[in-house]
Amino acid sequence: MTIEASTPSGERMTLNMGPHHPATHGVLRIVVESDGEVVATCTPDHGYLHRSIEKIGECVEWPMFVPYTDRVDYVCAMNANLAYCIAAEKLLQSDPANTFVVPRRGECIRVLVAELNRISSHLVAVGAMAMDVGAYTPFLHGIAQREGVNDIFEKLCGQRLTYNYVTIGGVAYDLYDTAIDEIRRFLDQFEREMVRFNKLVTTNTIFRDRCASVATVSAAEAIAWGLVGPNLRGSGVDFDLRRDEPYGIYGELGVQVPVGQAFAGRKGSVGDAYDRYVVRLLEILESIRLCRAVLELLPPAAAKANDPIGGWQADVGKQVKRPPKGEVHVRTEAPRGEMGYFLVSDGTKALFRVRCRTGSFTAAGIFHHVMRGIFLADVVAVIGSFDIVVPEIDR
Amino acid sequence: MNGFGYAVDALAAWLAGGEPGWIALTIAVLAVWVVPILLLVFPIAALGQILERKIAAAIQRRVGPSSAGLDGPLRFGFRVLLFFLPRARQDRIFAAFCNLRPVRSLLLVSRRLGLGQFVADGIKMLGKEDIVPTGADGIVFRLAPYLALAGAFLPFCVVPFGQHLVMLETEVAALFAIAVSGIVVVALKMAGWGSGSKWSLLGGMRAVAQLVSYEVPIGLAVGGVVLWCGTMDLHAIVGQQYEPGVFSLLGWNVVQSPFLATLAAVFFIAGLAECQRSPFDMAEAESELVSGFNTEYSGLRWGLFAMAEYTEMLLIGALLATLFFGGYQSPIGEEWIVGLPVWLEVPIHGAILGVKVVTVFLVMMWIRWTLPRFRVDQVMRLSWLVLVPMCLVSMFGLAVTLLAAGGTHAGEAFGRVASRPRPDLHWLGHLAAWAVPVAIGACLVVMAKKKHGQVHPALQRLTGGRS
Repeated sequence: MTIEASTPSGERMTLNMGPHHPATHGVLRIVVESDGEVVATCTPDHGYLHRSIEKIGECVEWPMFVPYTDRVDYVCAMNANLAYCIAAEKLLQSDPANTFVVPRRGECIRVLVAELNRISSHLVAVGAMAMDVGAYTPFLHGIAQREGVNDIFEKLCGQRLTYNYVTIGGVAYDLYDTAIDEIRRFLDQFEREMVRFNKLVTTNTIFRDRCASVATVSAAEAIAWGLVGPNLRGSGVDFDLRRDEPYGIYGELGVQVPVGQAFAGRKGSVGDAYDRYVVRLLEILESIRLCRAVLELLPPAAAKANDPIGGWQADVGKQVKRPPKGEVHVRTEAPRGEMGYFLVSDGTKALFRVRCRTGSFTAAGIFHHVMRGIFLADVVAVIGSFDIVVPEIDR
Repeated sequence: MNGFGYAVDALAAWLAGGEPGWIALTIAVLAVWVVPILLLVFPIAALGQILERKIAAAIQRRVGPSSAGLDGPLRFGFRVLLFFLPRARQDRIFAAFCNLRPVRSLLLVSRRLGLGQFVADGIKMLGKEDIVPTGADGIVFRLAPYLALAGAFLPFCVVPFGQHLVMLETEVAALFAIAVSGIVVVALKMAGWGSGSKWSLLGGMRAVAQLVSYEVPIGLAVGGVVLWCGTMDLHAIVGQQYEPGVFSLLGWNVVQSPFLATLAAVFFIAGLAECQRSPFDMAEAESELVSGFNTEYSGLRWGLFAMAEYTEMLLIGALLATLFFGGYQSPIGEEWIVGLPVWLEVPIHGAILGVKVVTVFLVMMWIRWTLPRFRVDQVMRLSWLVLVPMCLVSMFGLAVTLLAAGGTHAGEAFGRVASRPRPDLHWLGHLAAWAVPVAIGACLVVMAKKKHGQVHPALQRLTGGRS
């Protein structure tokens, strides 16, 4: 349906959705022009959560910026830490005098926490989308499962949301004694729980029909608009940095990449809201598998933190005080897609420039394109399906 | 005329001291009928809110309201009862009373069940600032909640609560119930328009579109029952569902014909839409329209809307029970209750109807906390392309059944209300009347499943192999 066909009179109503609206997941403002229930134009207006994180990066020392990366995406803070730390390590290692390597155990723990955090982040994403479509219960069930991950992280680093756990050169603490058992137990019960979750909402006919063929993004469009992560894969593009440009130990794990394939069946199409949603659920299953695989690979802990095999933190204290000049760009696969850090160093303690590339920003960029002619009720479902986290847009 | 009618007349005559005028009659009706019913339905609706919160909590694996007990109301009661004593004495007596073992455990249970929550909520609502937005149309905005509540309450006039307990015994009771509950549409539109907010306006528009559409299937479903029973008098419809013996369940309309069972299902679904309950809660869709037509309401007025919603749920339950599930009659052995004296019969019948209503209420909550919400176009499609045709087919089937039954026998009136003869099919006729439509329906369901029910193989991984 085109908006011109449905609004012959051309009378429009301007609706301010947000910045305080239950469905905008934070403080995103979307200016919707609609004719009754049909959306004509939709303009995301961001900046309400801008905290100058990139500018702060130019003022603080390298390791001191790690807690700020938590705030870039508080739903998957581990992945945000990881992206910055990998970039910083790569920049430090560009100086041949710096010969440190991240210990093997540290690398394993990084991937482990990143995948656990991917699970909890996707749980928020699918739960919030179900809530936007009107089913409140799955959201709380998702949150209840996320508590499991949060509990593990709390024991691991003392925090439940902004972890500041991954550090330049490794991770801040070794796994606690019972961590492996607890993670295994969590994964087992979580796998069973996901089956119930999916029976409750994913295969529900109302839910499927609500999301089928809504805001369809073709593969070419997805690439052209710079979509990343599950949003890109939902459109059927088989691309995942964990597999295609592996970092850490992802190369050894053989990551399987789910892509959208019109999961909604006859009524659906490749790249619709339902595909993006299902791709996230399939990624959760893949993350469960990866976590288990990492636990198999995990070397036993050594006595010293900087032991190259059983340690978890390389000695980088001196290097970050006198970093080399240069610039580096590193991209990693965060739950919301490619999270890239571009760092420029002028050889002083603080970075010269920090640039953070996030998935939600480009996802918000495609809103006005996909929301023409859809129903007002679908606007929230579309926001949910792109899994927007507002601080990622504003930073 | 039933006993309560006499009470009204007697009271009115006493008030007027002779032939009662309309003022005396109004006061008498209020005293005998309206106040007791309000006193009955309000607490039930309020308790319904607690029930809903507890059920939602159970479904979502939360605890729900768990600390507001009945201590506060009880203390207030003591204060009122012992007003002649100084406050310290009152408190001492109250403390002594609360320390009694059974009272203590009961209070604990009430706290765990959150029974005091509705008192607390009520006080909170009364204490809130009364806000009328700047852009609002004051009169319309203020009037809407009362109209909504009236529209939800008035149909209870014609619902029979017992053999001798119906407020308004009229020939057109079913029509009255549907027509009067239509006031709610106007009220919601007024709330949506009068608030002067775009969210409210959209919510009001959705509410009107939905309610008007769903009044058609509701009307047709009631029409089917009227066709079957030959009367619009709800009391007579209940009377017709009487069956002597232990299996009085067999007299209920819902087991008379598969078409009536279909109509019952349609009535329930359309009733959900009439109450704006999930999955039809588009009009107050929280995640889309902030709160829909009641976005701008706060305090007591919002409370009235909430009360209207719960009352309407009770109403749909009561009408569903009355039209299809034997009304106030017991499913096992109605014969003995009929013979009881009035003072015993009325509470028993009232309780039976209450159980039926609460069952419907619970199913509605279960649905609300499990299903996502429909979209506008899907709601309309469901009404006009699924429910209305189902109703029409069912009405046609009922008419054919009545015709085929031809040789009807004159049913007894069972000493209550005049009853039209019910078609008496031979058991073979009953079998055919059930088997044929059920077989056709099953075929349709299987075909629909084949066409729409395929699940993508990747999804089977997510659901553990099965969908």
